[in-house]
Amino acid sequence: MSLYLAAFGFGLVSTSVLAIAAVGFTMQFGISNMINLAYGEVMIAAAYASYGLNNAGINIWVSLLGGAVFGSVSSYLINRVLYAPFQKKGTALIGMVIISLAASLMIANVLLPIVGYYSVSYRQNVGPTFHAGSIALTGVQLAIMGLAIVLMLVIHSLLKLTRLGKAMRATSANPTLARNCGIPTRRVIDTAWLITGALCGVAGTVAGMNSDTFAVASGAGFLISIIAAAVLGGAGNPYGAMIGALLIGEVTEISAAAFSPEYKEVAAFAILVLVMVLRPQGLLAKRGTLAAAG
Amino acid sequence: MSPSALEPTAGSAPATGTGLGVAPQPMMTVRNVERHFEGMRAVDGVSIDILPGRITGLIGPNGAGKSTLLAVLAGTLPASGGTVTFDGTDITEWPAWRRARHGMIRTFQLPSEFAELTVLENLLVAAPNHRGESLRGALLGRRYWIADERREVARARELLARFSLSAKESEYAGSLSGGQKRLIEIMRALMLQPRLLLLDEPMSGVHPSIIGEIARYLEGLRDGGLTILIVEHELHMIERLCNPVIVMAQGKVIGQGSMIELRRQREIVDAYLVG
Amino acid sequence: MTYYLTTLGVYAGVDIIACLALNLQFGVSGIVNFSFIVFQAAGAYTAAVLALPPDSQNGGFQHYVFGAQLPFPIPWIAAAVVGGVLSVPVGLVVLRHLRVDYQAIAMLVLSVIANLVITNARPFLNGAAGLSLVPQPLSDRFNAYSPTYLWAYVAVTFVCCALVFFVSQRIVKSPYGRTLRAMREHELAVTALGKNPVVLKMTIFVVGGVIAGLSGAILVGFITIWAPSTWLYPETLILFAAVIVGGRGNNWGALFGAALVPVGFEEATRYLPQFGPPGLVPALQWVAIGLLIIGFLWFRPKGVLPEKPGRFAAATPVVGARLTKEPGVS
Ligand SMILES: Nc1ncnc2c1ncn2[C@@H]1O[C@H](COP(=O)(O)OP(=O)(O)OP(=O)(O)O)[C@@H](O)[C@H]1O
Ligand SMILES: [Mg+2]
Repeated sequence: MSLYLAAFGFGLVSTSVLAIAAVGFTMQFGISNMINLAYGEVMIAAAYASYGLNNAGINIWVSLLGGAVFGSVSSYLINRVLYAPFQKKGTALIGMVIISLAASLMIANVLLPIVGYYSVSYRQNVGPTFHAGSIALTGVQLAIMGLAIVLMLVIHSLLKLTRLGKAMRATSANPTLARNCGIPTRRVIDTAWLITGALCGVAGTVAGMNSDTFAVASGAGFLISIIAAAVLGGAGNPYGAMIGALLIGEVTEISAAAFSPEYKEVAAFAILVLVMVLRPQGLLAKRGTLAAAG
Repeated sequence: MSPSALEPTAGSAPATGTGLGVAPQPMMTVRNVERHFEGMRAVDGVSIDILPGRITGLIGPNGAGKSTLLAVLAGTLPASGGTVTFDGTDITEWPAWRRARHGMIRTFQLPSEFAELTVLENLLVAAPNHRGESLRGALLGRRYWIADERREVARARELLARFSLSAKESEYAGSLSGGQKRLIEIMRALMLQPRLLLLDEPMSGVHPSIIGEIARYLEGLRDGGLTILIVEHELHMIERLCNPVIVMAQGKVIGQGSMIELRRQREIVDAYLVG
Repeated sequence: MTYYLTTLGVYAGVDIIACLALNLQFGVSGIVNFSFIVFQAAGAYTAAVLALPPDSQNGGFQHYVFGAQLPFPIPWIAAAVVGGVLSVPVGLVVLRHLRVDYQAIAMLVLSVIANLVITNARPFLNGAAGLSLVPQPLSDRFNAYSPTYLWAYVAVTFVCCALVFFVSQRIVKSPYGRTLRAMREHELAVTALGKNPVVLKMTIFVVGGVIAGLSGAILVGFITIWAPSTWLYPETLILFAAVIVGGRGNNWGALFGAALVPVGFEEATRYLPQFGPPGLVPALQWVAIGLLIIGFLWFRPKGVLPEKPGRFAAATPVVGARLTKEPGVS
């Protein structure tokens, strides 16, 4: 039992990392109506950007900011230079998903010769370990959880309280209508990519902080958990992604404790399949974006 | 066709007749049909009868739920509630393709041509019961299905000639004008020799001279016994072709009858029939 | 030299077969099968374990199931069958209700997970190390290392290519293929014309799976090894690049694309001198594949050899003209 309790504790940390990542991912889907398969690779690239700073002797939390900026700018550029022009050209969904997978591979393989194949780890002081029953978490892990909560609240206020948030929701629901109502959709979309890119960068770095090591090859694994969380919560829905992250984060850690850590992502996959069979529109789906029209 | 008396309102007394004194069985009966989008009731408890051998008009302001209702009748959107019967059979749960095989064919409000197929191929796709259309037929080779192909090519060319599109048969459908795409869709539907034709704004974007052509053709089909439901904003076409006409607003049926009768009803005029 | 050329020949043949299958699924029917390589792998593993002796017999250095030691061509046939059978549950889960880009990510996730599971489940198919010493077909009767055998293997591979090409052409040029193309263009409209899209997608998905399984069997019979590292999900993207470059929907395009992209890029450069730090050349190859896909989708989305529409003979003889052919597809 204590084993599972400990796993539950780790699950909360995984949830925090995953929530930051999945909210960014799902918001990109919502605003641009496309699945950005390069998301996992941008996360890794940002984690390495933070690593570069950290390795140069800068404190990890400051480096984290650098990672956020890196993720933000590179996501913005990917959308502006690659995705948006193709969408403007009228490229169908089927083409967009291939383009984003191609982009993902290109990022990974530009990154590889630069950073190498080997795993790296941050220089960080993980702080004292806190115990609550059989749950044992380090200071860094608690800090990651705190950061995730803060970021979720920020996103919530952004969406619900600011004009930008309203414009983003309107653009997400119906871009043509939003444009006709005088919303500068292009600027809104650009801003959304900057914000979600920052989330992506933060997520990459905290993922690296939470695990002992990371490498370029970790990107695909990240992506699977993110997709599972986002789909579970109904793609395009940030609140759904948060709940999805909680479920996926806990299930992967607890199944890792129950079976074997190698199969962590298999649990995420099993949930994904179940959702696709039983409730293709997701748990909290509002827009029915997942199901084919008609 | 004799001008019709007032049609019964939904779900009330049986049809009072067509002028010949015979009460026709409705071809399609729609009862309390609903369709929700995220709690928004696009179609909100619609009950109508579609009588055989008639062209029924469906009009209403933008967003009234006309297209949604048509999609629910054709099965391309599942209903959130209510029942649809066709020829006495409850088809509410039937998928769209099954309804189509039973003769209910719809067209779409937005162009839905197969862009990278030629015009002739667009029509041929619609051909029913083609031996070459299964994997097995394809593997058995050309000789197995060529007779069917010839038959269907001939039928498709007849239709193309009737709509003066013969010259375009080898062009990509995606390269046609909006009006020509509309025609393709109508011809595609006709390739299937439907029993109930559900048309969603078949005349929008079509050149005025061709609108007359379509109207004449639809009248011919009706006189040949085909039942048609048509959603249209072109009111004079509705007036010419349709009896009865059903008016929808905000997901509900707010009136039905001949166009002349509808014009007499204040609230309907206010809601939609401007002027 | 013989070994180099014959290896290249077999790889080329296998890539052509794979591209033809992917063309049927993706190019003709619009199914974004990002897990294509899994079906090839399933075929390869099937053929391998059916040809291998029981795993206790070779010193126990590798572990796997079955080990049936069946004679050629049973492993190949079984590989094709397994590729097709595996397509059924995958297709039923993925292809029925989901929007097309969700289909794609579902397949992508499947590809990653399948590899992960096989890598970690060692007793099943020998895990990350993979299977080796897979007996070549008929190696009990011929010397599998003689040039004659190697060239004969290439010849058999190309006979399979021709067979698959023949089948693909029959499908593409048939009314069935026409309906598949229409479904790619507008699925809902095809449904509204009385075609069951699930049947259309499932049949072509299974056909593609059968061919993919066969391609895996041919490959493993020649290279005699098969490991998870040979079927990572990016491999599928190379095949996509080939179909896109060649011309989606056109079998000749798939042929051309296969000869150009996977063969040209991957197999030929495998023997080129490496420069820079280790890993640089392969990394650049992947970048090039990505650029190729993006460049073609931008500048020439229909590929080098665009899909050809059906041609039909003229309906009526032109006045005073020569004999016209009867109407029909040509
Ligand atoms: N797929 C959908 N998701 C969400 N809302 C929808 C969807 N389809 C239609 N609606 C909404 O349902 C309502 C009815 O739409 P519908 O297209 O049926 O109207 P209509 O009467 O055909 O209008 P028009 O004359 O403009 O074609 C509208 O408010 C529309 O926004
Ligand atoms: Mg409409």
